[in-house]
Amino acid sequence: MLRRCATSLVSSWFRNPPVRPGAPGLPALETGEAAKLRSIGILLLIAFLALSAHARTRPHYGGTLRVEIAGDPWQRPGGTARRLVLDGLTRADASGSAQPALAVEWNSENQEHRWQFKLRPGVHFHDGSPLTSIAVVASLNTACPSNCPWSAMHAVGGSVIFTGDEPMPNLPELLAGDEYLIALTMTSEGTPQQGVIGTGPFLVSGFANGVLALAANENCWAGRPFADSIEIRTHRAVRDQWLDLGVGRADLVEVPPEQMRQAQQQRLAVQASPPVTLLGLQIAETGSLESPLLRQSMALAIDRSALSNVIFQKQGEVTASLLPAKMTGYSFLFPAERDLSKAQQLRGGITPPPLVLAAPGDGTMQLAAQRIALNLREAGFNVQVASGATQHADLTLIEFALDSNQPQAALESIARRAGIALPAAGPSDMALFQSEREILNRETLIPLLYLPKAYAVSGRVRDLDLKPDGSPDLADASLLDSSRGDAP
Amino acid sequence: MSRMWLVAASALLSVSAFAQAPGPWAQPAAALSEQVAGILGPGQANFAIRNLSTIPSDQIPAIQALLEQDLKAHGVRTSGAESANTIRVTLSENPRERLWVAEVTQGNETRVTMVQVDAGAPSAWTEAKSGLMLRREIVIETKQPIVTALEMGNALIAVEPEEIVIRSRSADGWQEAKRFRMARTRAPARDPRGESLVDATGNGFEAFVGGMECDGSVAAGAASAQVTCHESDDPWPIAQIDQTGGGSVAAFYNASRNYFTGVVTPAIGVDLPPFYSAAVFFRPAGAALLIDGIDGKVQLVDAGTVKNVIGTRDWGSDFAVLHSGCGAGAQVIASGSGEAVSDSLRAYELPASEAIPASAPLAMDGSVTALWSAPDGKSVYASVRHASGEYEVDRVTALCN
Repeated sequence: MLRRCATSLVSSWFRNPPVRPGAPGLPALETGEAAKLRSIGILLLIAFLALSAHARTRPHYGGTLRVEIAGDPWQRPGGTARRLVLDGLTRADASGSAQPALAVEWNSENQEHRWQFKLRPGVHFHDGSPLTSIAVVASLNTACPSNCPWSAMHAVGGSVIFTGDEPMPNLPELLAGDEYLIALTMTSEGTPQQGVIGTGPFLVSGFANGVLALAANENCWAGRPFADSIEIRTHRAVRDQWLDLGVGRADLVEVPPEQMRQAQQQRLAVQASPPVTLLGLQIAETGSLESPLLRQSMALAIDRSALSNVIFQKQGEVTASLLPAKMTGYSFLFPAERDLSKAQQLRGGITPPPLVLAAPGDGTMQLAAQRIALNLREAGFNVQVASGATQHADLTLIEFALDSNQPQAALESIARRAGIALPAAGPSDMALFQSEREILNRETLIPLLYLPKAYAVSGRVRDLDLKPDGSPDLADASLLDSSRGDAP
Repeated sequence: MSRMWLVAASALLSVSAFAQAPGPWAQPAAALSEQVAGILGPGQANFAIRNLSTIPSDQIPAIQALLEQDLKAHGVRTSGAESANTIRVTLSENPRERLWVAEVTQGNETRVTMVQVDAGAPSAWTEAKSGLMLRREIVIETKQPIVTALEMGNALIAVEPEEIVIRSRSADGWQEAKRFRMARTRAPARDPRGESLVDATGNGFEAFVGGMECDGSVAAGAASAQVTCHESDDPWPIAQIDQTGGGSVAAFYNASRNYFTGVVTPAIGVDLPPFYSAAVFFRPAGAALLIDGIDGKVQLVDAGTVKNVIGTRDWGSDFAVLHSGCGAGAQVIASGSGEAVSDSLRAYELPASEAIPASAPLAMDGSVTALWSAPDGKSVYASVRHASGEYEVDRVTALCN
């Protein structure tokens, strides 16, 4: 409602006869010199416009964001499309604290053995069906069939209730993790849902020729995203991604940690996260490696610095703690230096039978595994590297995504994925340290390096932030609109 | 003789360092020393300290002196070079607090203890260094974005994208008194914006947030505040064109986006492009409407014409007018255009069609997400998003040089 309009007053301020643009037309120029002068003039004009007209503005709406990735967009955890299409009950803010997402509020009872999460009203899945507590429970049951942070889960009206045999102090933060995103599991006819349908800022609009097409969700509960659509070209080699970025066919491409320096040398605009991926070596505590002394010997034999310097081109943060140094401030209490003589001493002359080291993923992980095997051989272990996941591996090189900046939740998440029962950790730094030390003293998980995630972006992309897990926040990114003359 | 001078100077420096020991370190030093003494018991120990934190190195000697003094008070002497006991203190930190860690080694056994130290509040305000001086002070800090806010006596109306929060003034600052949720049927935009103003009675207020309009009153105090909201596509009053408050221009806002459509009422005789911000700027020659187009061009609507304003390359998307009384009397306060994590604000004068800097940039503690003038025009408010994702509202005023 406008209450204080004073039309006549306004008119007297602003309504004067507009001045006719008075610049006379340029006379026709025929000579070469004149043409040269005209070219210079045009260049000067362009330069003037570039200097005078382009301020940084608020994010624009519209456009198609073109993303290229080497992997699968739906891979768990961390697939690029997952957080674009799906939401969690909570989301993590920059400090790692849980903030409302599909749940608007939550509270705990019975000393954190029982949690009630109240769902946001009025939210719909992309197919138009309402978000219900029954749909949430079905989704979480599918996502987490076993070893969940909770013991039981129930849909009660507009709320989801979690109960646990143990206290669940970190549940709101854990539910912000990638593995607990909510997807529609059943169609309205009661049959299993085929495609991926969520409540997120983008919905799946097609998949053809290796390109996943996503369209803006106009009715997204968190607001319509700025880009109209996103095209994710999948299974694209990093070298080809960079070529596409160079010729303007892509807006956001991946930069593996070991290629960050190369990307900078090529003057790509690289955006890197803090260390968010823990590279660790999981050791089976059965069979020939039942002795904790042998496992401790292995931990001391690995040269983390060489792994960081050689394989990851100095982009990895050497660590012997499960949580990154910047998160806790105490990681120096876990020495990361190699001590080969102590490793040999701890082995005590025992030579276990040949061991298998499994390393999933690409060539870099294979190289890292080869390097670790070399270190272990120097300490007297006979280790062979097997590519891909091997069921009977004695040692497994694993990447753990750090999807929370809240240290207690992050530690619980890593321990859970490693299949380690988490000792109760209080909220203090000392309690966290003691909990972490207890996990590491088992010598079944050896932290090696913390690695960043990095992306190279085109000049069209604006306001791109990385989420706490290092993934790009594409829903809040926008594109420069070249049609309005604000291209760089 | 020279040696005596050296000793005296060293003693003086040492005393001086201790005398300057900052107060915040005394309590954690005492707590850590007590814990170390509890582990070690009375006796001698080698002592070492290292700094992995952002504490300035010139403060380390004072902290070391405090720790050694407190340890001595608990019977632990740190001069024992021949002792097998070692105390290694590391001054570290994490995003939440500083962390002082002591590793106490007795023979082959090392035990760890630590204390958490409050990192201290950020500086409340900073000043520009030359010309007209801008100064800022934090009004409130919140976890939710504030799209606009209004101070009315002892009440502060803070408008969030989905709620209006009424705060009351207290000795500890603005305390939340009441919270009103807007009954939205449409989700707010991702770049939410708003506007608030004192209503015609002077006792109530109006607030506009994309797609919603709210009316309220704090006449009976913050705790008894009343607010009603309804969905609305009515235009927002964007500028008063009479310094006595006699009339205003209103603009239609695109609630599903983040900008004004360019349609204003009453018509002002020229077609405006879609714009993000607008403000009336009073000059000796008359009033002019300043707009920041969504194409990034800053333009001045003056005497029926639309002119590009030069010298605005460093402007961001927000500006507000400040009636400082300095220089020409009023300045435009514009946010910076940098892509850096933290923005800045700077005052400009507009004698003609060129923006001339009138102050040094005033650094903010994050990116400026909204900027608006106080009802009396003597200050502007900035909503600032920290890198941590939290927000603060700053009041910015000017001092004349």
